[in-house]
Amino acid sequence: MSTAGPSTAAPANAPQQLHPIQAILQDIATTNDPIKLNNQLKTLSKDSRENILASLLPGGEDPLNALDPEFNTIGCLWILVARLNSNQTPYPDARIIEQFCKRFKPQHAKHASDKVTALANSIYRIAQASNNLRYALEPLYELVTRYPPTRSHLTTIHPLFLSVCVATQSFQAALPVLLHPIMEIDTSISNITYNDNLQYHYAGGIAFGALKRWKEAEEFFEICVTAPGQAPAAIQLEALKKLTLVQLILYGKALPTPKYTHSTLVRLLKSSPYGTLSRSYPLSVPTLSQLIHKDIETFNNEKNMGLVQQAIERAPRWLISKLTSTYLTLGLDDIAKEVGGITPDEVRTTILRMIELGEINAKISADGTVTFADSQVTVTKAEVDKALLQAQEQSKVLLQLERAMNLNKDYLTKALKHKDDAGWGPDEDLSFMGPGGHPGGWAEESVF
Amino acid sequence: MDIDEELELVTPSAKVVGKRPSFVPVDDAHPFDLDAYIASYSGRTAIDKIIFLLPLCPSIAPSAFRRAIELLQHTRDPTIYTHLVNEYDKAQSLSQSLGSPIPAHLDVAPLDSKWIEETLAKNQADKTKLEVELKTYSSNMIKESIRMAHRDLGDFYRATGDYSTALKHYTKSREFCTTSQHVLDMCLSVLELLMEQRNYAHITTYVFKADAALEAAAGGAARNAPSGPTATAQATAAATAAKEKFAADKEKVQTKLDIATAISHLGQGAYEKAANSFLKAGPVKGLEDWATQIIAPGDIAIYGTLCALATFSRSAIKSQLLDNDNFGVYIEQEPYVRELIVAYLNSKFKVVLEILERYSTRHYIDIHLSPHVSSLYTKIRNHALVLYFQPFTSIKLERMSAAFGWTVEYLEQQVVALIQSGDIQGRVDRKDKILKAKETDQRTALFERALKAGQDMQSTNRKLLLRMKLQQAELIIKAPKGQNAHPNELLVGGRTGICIEYAIVEHE
Repeated sequence: MSTAGPSTAAPANAPQQLHPIQAILQDIATTNDPIKLNNQLKTLSKDSRENILASLLPGGEDPLNALDPEFNTIGCLWILVARLNSNQTPYPDARIIEQFCKRFKPQHAKHASDKVTALANSIYRIAQASNNLRYALEPLYELVTRYPPTRSHLTTIHPLFLSVCVATQSFQAALPVLLHPIMEIDTSISNITYNDNLQYHYAGGIAFGALKRWKEAEEFFEICVTAPGQAPAAIQLEALKKLTLVQLILYGKALPTPKYTHSTLVRLLKSSPYGTLSRSYPLSVPTLSQLIHKDIETFNNEKNMGLVQQAIERAPRWLISKLTSTYLTLGLDDIAKEVGGITPDEVRTTILRMIELGEINAKISADGTVTFADSQVTVTKAEVDKALLQAQEQSKVLLQLERAMNLNKDYLTKALKHKDDAGWGPDEDLSFMGPGGHPGGWAEESVF
Repeated sequence: MDIDEELELVTPSAKVVGKRPSFVPVDDAHPFDLDAYIASYSGRTAIDKIIFLLPLCPSIAPSAFRRAIELLQHTRDPTIYTHLVNEYDKAQSLSQSLGSPIPAHLDVAPLDSKWIEETLAKNQADKTKLEVELKTYSSNMIKESIRMAHRDLGDFYRATGDYSTALKHYTKSREFCTTSQHVLDMCLSVLELLMEQRNYAHITTYVFKADAALEAAAGGAARNAPSGPTATAQATAAATAAKEKFAADKEKVQTKLDIATAISHLGQGAYEKAANSFLKAGPVKGLEDWATQIIAPGDIAIYGTLCALATFSRSAIKSQLLDNDNFGVYIEQEPYVRELIVAYLNSKFKVVLEILERYSTRHYIDIHLSPHVSSLYTKIRNHALVLYFQPFTSIKLERMSAAFGWTVEYLEQQVVALIQSGDIQGRVDRKDKILKAKETDQRTALFERALKAGQDMQSTNRKLLLRMKLQQAELIIKAPKGQNAHPNELLVGGRTGICIEYAIVEHE
């Protein structure tokens, strides 16, 4: 790829009647301001624009070869999208797409955010059409990591990338993206819809679940379930089902959903087989298997059988850890009897595994007696310091947010209007009482 | 009959004494004096009580049956007779299956067909007479007379056993009440009826109405009292006397209402509320005819004490039960109740359990108490176990079982159940049979809690902030325009790309 190409070719061809694509190329090469260029391209007549952009140079050469993705980000983007959506000219070389994704300038690209979305969609579509989704992984990864101003911004590329990861089962590849929790929503850099948010977190939950990182999976599903809405979405219900199963695996019981969850979702779940399972969990493995027997088809159809199976397999652990709070010593036989559907040998392996993982604190003596001790949690100073630091950071963020909120015009008008109502109004005393206002208060406690 | 089901739950006593659950024995270990029991009731209530106990204690069924037939002669309801015979037959078949058959009902007490005919004829005549009266009064529009006619009809139907019609007439009479006193009378009649029927859920409604009427009546009395300098000394004295009389009346009614409330709570299993209401009850004389017709003072002592032992703390039992003068009078009616309370307060739980066991027959055949005996017993037992363990950091199960008179296995079962429900903070050493109190390291627990709270707070903040930003950007899920689809159908297309198999998970 040569950067010198367009600059030398353009003046040479200047006197002749230029082919439209050549004229555009010239514009692209000479305009330095990305906003101006974007507007120029936008103002071209709509019908012919896409055709022109998608055409090759008169010599049959690929115009993309003549452009540099880093310096001509906008131009490349327009041409790429036009080419990928055109059925007259062949698709550009895969290498060119990859190069673009690796080298484009995000600051420029954000002025043509709709084109970025279109590009990502096209990549996904083409990869799917050619039955090789894996191909889309690399370019989408580059896009999703390079395009947004920070890693915690949500873009339209996020759900696409995640669905590719889930579909190709490349869960590890998704991790670098997933580990940055979404904190920022900016519709000016990417034309996102509520669906993007739902899909991203749903797929993220699946990826974490497949990697057995239950805690994160729980958070992602919960974000999906509790997304604001006037009506519940089907994907939310699916997420809630998975959330319930993940919680069974993680905590041994389903936790109540946050109170801002749409009530219909909770009701629907309660009457589903998932609700039944979570109510009777944990019981002995045979009992649970019998319980879900008639719903196996539902679980299979909804692709949740894997999670259900895992939840059931973990049931004995929860039963055993329940026993630790009731007994000090207990024979392996007794445990097997209490847990049900398990042999003393299996109990021994399970308990050993639990001790290894630090879930319980116990000893097995030679005669098969298990002695449970209180779990020894020791908190080191470093941990406390870390927690305190985190808390302080958190309070700073909250304080800033509080201030930003106090500047918000909508908030102020509303607050003034409801000044007389209790609980509203600019309750400054209250808001500064929080941890944010008093870093000193935390320092005192750190003494011990 | 649901009583039978309840009885099957009585594992502890059944276990110790080897008692069969579908009936209760009357023997030396479980003394029960039928005559003394029935003597405290009169009329229909006594018969109802006998009907209730017949299928439960076949061994005393013949004498009870004979007694009931005698009592029957003084009532006006021949339909009871069939009922009585039915229940007796049940007892008889039960006694046969037990191997100690009792004679058929005709051999015990012959049927007086003459009495039945006479009563039926008399009832018919009375009914016609009362109905004609009501009609006349209704056409004359004399409010007070209409009320009395309805009341009389209500009383009549109650005596002849047609409770629903009786209730209809009583409630109808309310429309024609002119004073609060009338409303009060009506409410009390309905309450009697409801208690006889054991319709516990409705009792509170009428107690509430009666309370309001009582307040209104009190207000009326105060207004009527003459005031000012014009009143002569004599009139004032008369008024004071009237006031005193009224206050006494009020106290009586209040006692009845308290008892009614208490029975309602007991019937619905709200033992703590029931205990409170029983203990609030005024002096015995306030019960008037209720003492024989509805509830004997001894019953109040038993109900109140059992409910209190099952739910109150030790100090509350002492202050509200033993130091309660009014309730003391009730307790005198059943001397064993005082023994029970004293044993409980002295932590002699073995004695407590023995007394309960000894009088279980008396409790099971009680019409109001019967369905609740087993749960009350369980509660008292659990309470006792918790109390017993409180001062120890560790105790041998053997010693504990001796204190309760149970086997070690049975005790362990009970203790484990209590630990799991969180009532006992301890753990069982199954190998050495020791119960040890849980020691929590407060410092570690605090650290653990604080760290967890911090983490939870952070993740919640994160989630909520995201949610807020979504709302600010108006990325809110909306139902598709123009269709009110079932939520399941929304967005189905949206997840096709994603709802890929959890394949990895599944194949592991």
